[in-house]
Amino acid sequence: MPAVVWASGIAGPVGRGALLVGVVAAAFGALAAITAARESSRGEAVRTSRLVPRFVGLAFLASFGAIVAMEWAMVTRDFSLQYVQDHGSRSTPALYNFTAVWSALEGSILLWIFALALSAALVAWRYRRRLDDELISWAIAVICIVLVFFFVLSFGPANPFAAGAPGVNDGPGPNPLLQNHILVLFHPPILYLGYVGFTVPFAFAIAALVTGRVGEGWLIETRRWTLFAWGFLTVGIILGGWWSYEVLGWSGVWAWDPVENASLLPWLTGTAYIHSVLVQERRGMLRVWNLSLLLSTFSLTILGTFLTRSGVLNSVHAFSESDIGTYLLVFFGLVVLVSLVLIGWRGDQLRSPGSIDSPVSREGAFLANNVLFTVFAFVVLLGTVFPLIIEALQDRQISVAEPFFDRLSAPIGIAMLALMCIAPVLPWRKASTELLRDRLFWPAWCGIAALVVGLLAGAHGLASLLAFTLGGFSGGAALRQVVLATRRQGWRGFVGRANGGMIVHLGVILIAVALSASNAYTRSQELRLSEGVPASFAGHTFELVGFSEEKDDRSTAIKALVSIDGGQAYAPAITKFLNMGMNVGTPSVKTTWRYDIYLTLEPPVKKDSGEARVKVFVKPLIMWLWIGGGLMALGTVLAAFPGRRRRPTDPTSAPVPAHERVTT
Amino acid sequence: MSRLKAGLTWAVMAVLTVGLLAFGATRSSGPSTQEERIDAISKRLACPTCSGESIYVSRASAAESIRNEIARQVAAGQRGDNEIVAFIESRFPGSLLLPPTEGVDSLVWVLPVVALVCGFGGLVVVFRRWQREGRARANPDDADIVAAALREHDDPTDGL
Repeated sequence: MPAVVWASGIAGPVGRGALLVGVVAAAFGALAAITAARESSRGEAVRTSRLVPRFVGLAFLASFGAIVAMEWAMVTRDFSLQYVQDHGSRSTPALYNFTAVWSALEGSILLWIFALALSAALVAWRYRRRLDDELISWAIAVICIVLVFFFVLSFGPANPFAAGAPGVNDGPGPNPLLQNHILVLFHPPILYLGYVGFTVPFAFAIAALVTGRVGEGWLIETRRWTLFAWGFLTVGIILGGWWSYEVLGWSGVWAWDPVENASLLPWLTGTAYIHSVLVQERRGMLRVWNLSLLLSTFSLTILGTFLTRSGVLNSVHAFSESDIGTYLLVFFGLVVLVSLVLIGWRGDQLRSPGSIDSPVSREGAFLANNVLFTVFAFVVLLGTVFPLIIEALQDRQISVAEPFFDRLSAPIGIAMLALMCIAPVLPWRKASTELLRDRLFWPAWCGIAALVVGLLAGAHGLASLLAFTLGGFSGGAALRQVVLATRRQGWRGFVGRANGGMIVHLGVILIAVALSASNAYTRSQELRLSEGVPASFAGHTFELVGFSEEKDDRSTAIKALVSIDGGQAYAPAITKFLNMGMNVGTPSVKTTWRYDIYLTLEPPVKKDSGEARVKVFVKPLIMWLWIGGGLMALGTVLAAFPGRRRRPTDPTSAPVPAHERVTT
Repeated sequence: MSRLKAGLTWAVMAVLTVGLLAFGATRSSGPSTQEERIDAISKRLACPTCSGESIYVSRASAAESIRNEIARQVAAGQRGDNEIVAFIESRFPGSLLLPPTEGVDSLVWVLPVVALVCGFGGLVVVFRRWQREGRARANPDDADIVAAALREHDDPTDGL
């Protein structure tokens, strides 16, 4: 097409230009916001604030322009760019060609920048009438400074628009694992929205420290931003697990890979924060602690990016080695230093009076939650960087991997479930033994019922039986709260932080129980199937009914058609990607509400022999992982809606005023 | 419910739970398939050519050949799981995925316990301090200030 011919080769200069505009616009945005903040603090007329949204808007447009230029280059197969030569291909299908933009380091940073610039634009738009407020100006300035850093990273060491060698007119395409499931379209962008989303509460925290307005105002401002960032991170992590399960062929959802750990770390500290921040909002306490958790969450996203994108740690997820490591490490150091200096500077103001009356109270439970989550984060960080420390100290290599993390995360997970049994029913201030006995009565019976159901289903082993018991108990406690809230408030009993939070708890409990069951009771066997001869395993029959072959320009796939229990045929496959000469297995899964039957085709495949080696995994409760993930997302959305307003001086158990009651 | 009756019910629940857990924890898990033994062993060993993946997870050819070796030894039935792991580790030093509990490496096991003890120990310390501080009670002047503030809060004409 003439238009495409005309446009061929323009993506590079347009993209570079957009990145340059982005650097300048974000830098001027930061300057304008700081000037506005200073004018405001001096009591002068705030003139420069009207420039802030213009610069932020321009930076957003620049980030959009850069990612569109990259998409354009990929879609039009513009092989003048090195990135397209390395990760594009004429035979990649349209969907995976579109997602190839974030299939490697340079492109993924473009996606990061776009998500960050979008957050900056949303903040500028949300607070467009309060731009002369010093707190808002500083917050926007901080976001713009972070944006400048990432624009510089993309313009310099991680340049996606670098020119490639002349004369190249095809490439290998993205990694085969990144071109055989639709989740590649959703998992990375949603995860990045989570990572980047924490920049907003981080920026407000820094703004609060700079302006000295360290009360609870900035917390209220960032409540929903934090919740949505956490929600995106949660959904992104769960989608990553789903992707792993559907694509990688080892039948698991989580392998404790360093890149997976890098996403879990900010999730753990972020989860601790969204619990303990309630104590500060309610009681004005834990200011330093909450600031530290939030600043750690943001720092850990940068540290995680450094660890996994600089080549210092080996990971199957990690992109090729690059020299952005130094930039990320310096930026991480700066973030930590500035945070510590600011907290030290505002130390006097951050000291809050008051005390927590009893450990057996909601505040006490939040603190215990915080200890567990931060210790868990410490374990994950330690396990991830320990091989680096040993290598640096003793110049030898060791592995710290799945068995280590499994062994330590199991007791922490059990302790978290135990806490979730009691915490939801605890009142603020202090709980009496009588009250606990009364409120925990039915939840405890739910725990016993779950244990009995587990035993009747044939469960064994202390750890998983404890997980079922505590899962039933904590599920009962969360359901009790939801039932009470909906009885009192009708549909409003589902919304608001406390009620939405209980829906999130139910999701977490389902995931914990499902993970525990699938880890403990997976049955597996390799079957050598001959056409027309059924084989039995774990109470099911498997019969090879034939083979099918699919060929296109990109790949050749051989599928073994396996009928399960005489019913529908499932088709585990091995696909040879021609450009890379790489064989990739694709599992086929029969899903039921009780268990999944997961089939993989084992190489080598000789379809003329009429035989196939098929590995069968029977995995209990897997569907409940995804239902639990859905409930967590739903609960997060419900928690973001305003709940029942209570006068701060009322006890939490006070009845809802008559005019607020919903009649059904 | 009287206090005694409630106490008894909770005691019955606790005994029932402990009894059922003990029954479930000690009941036989049934025989494992050879494949399950191979999976359990391959989860403990690192693939020598992959980036931190276990033999179990990896689909690389090196992992495939070690898996075949494990399968051969399991089928022969002469070695236990630990012996097979030790045999593979002797061929591929450093392939053990579980760090040892000796020397500097033991820190990776010790530090999490230290962190947990410090975390909960810290909580005990601050709660003790809070309980000491909490003994200070509001005096009548404080109570008057609160009452006045509440009256102001309830006044619908406030601010008009």
